[in-house]
Amino acid sequence: MTPRRRLLLLFRVIVGGVFVWAGGLKIIDPLGFAQSIENYQVVSPELAFLAALVLPWVEFLSGAFLILGVLLRSSALLISLQLVGFIGLVASALARGIDTTCGCFGSLSRRADLTLILTDAVLFVLVLIVFFARPAQRSH
Amino acid sequence: MEFKRAIRGILVIVVLSILLAAAVHFPLLRRFAAGEFREGFLDRREYSGIRFITLAEAEDLFNRRMGGEEGLLFIDSRSREEFSAGHIPGALPVPLEELKRPGSPEAGPESSLPLAFPGAQTLVVYCEGGDCRTSLALAKIIHDRGYTDIRVFAGGWLEWNAAGLPESRQQ
Repeated sequence: MTPRRRLLLLFRVIVGGVFVWAGGLKIIDPLGFAQSIENYQVVSPELAFLAALVLPWVEFLSGAFLILGVLLRSSALLISLQLVGFIGLVASALARGIDTTCGCFGSLSRRADLTLILTDAVLFVLVLIVFFARPAQRSH
Repeated sequence: MEFKRAIRGILVIVVLSILLAAAVHFPLLRRFAAGEFREGFLDRREYSGIRFITLAEAEDLFNRRMGGEEGLLFIDSRSREEFSAGHIPGALPVPLEELKRPGSPEAGPESSLPLAFPGAQTLVVYCEGGDCRTSLALAKIIHDRGYTDIRVFAGGWLEWNAAGLPESRQQ
């Protein structure tokens, strides 16, 4: 494995690991996550509830697939879309002066603030690098 | 072509997620279909001692307390500043923000706030009103401490104040 490939694998493990961890924590506490979504005051309680059941699985699967290399570009693209969504959500909460925890890691969540946006932005850059990387040439 | 394939893969992941969510959370979905979780995400089985009350019920409880009924206590979960600016007379300030540390669901032993309310059986918890969530969060913590009759006044201070009901500004 070339150093470049190794670096890409490291990026995949970092970003995928964060998503598997974050998704897993929410899967075990869907009502807590529904409350977190509701705290952002952008969707109705019904939608928050349904999103709280499905979104953690999207996070978990896209993270796991990114690490395992299954549907690699799809999971990279899906993760980048989720990160854009998270950044937008936190930024809008900040702009509207809503003081809430981000809900990113279940009950371990921290406050939705600028450093959170920066963390998401770093993950976004890493996953874009994975997405745009040329697939490894298979040796026959 | 490459992009199309990526989009197709995303659809596969989303569909898989929906199927897994439906399978794993089937009991919750059934309760949702039966009408639960439309207003709040309180698990009524886990928190059977918590219920939401309206302004009229809160006022009734307040009048009973003012009439000398024992065992009733109003609890204000807002910040101390908000409490000082105006609160329901006789309410006890228990600011949730002082109870919670960032990243932990409940304060450690350093918290000096009382979470035992001697003589009180019925606790009415309220916060600012509107979209405030601290009253429910505090109600859950109190419920975990063994109290079984907790009423969350969802309209909160805003509704109480707008109705011109008695207020107090003392600490």
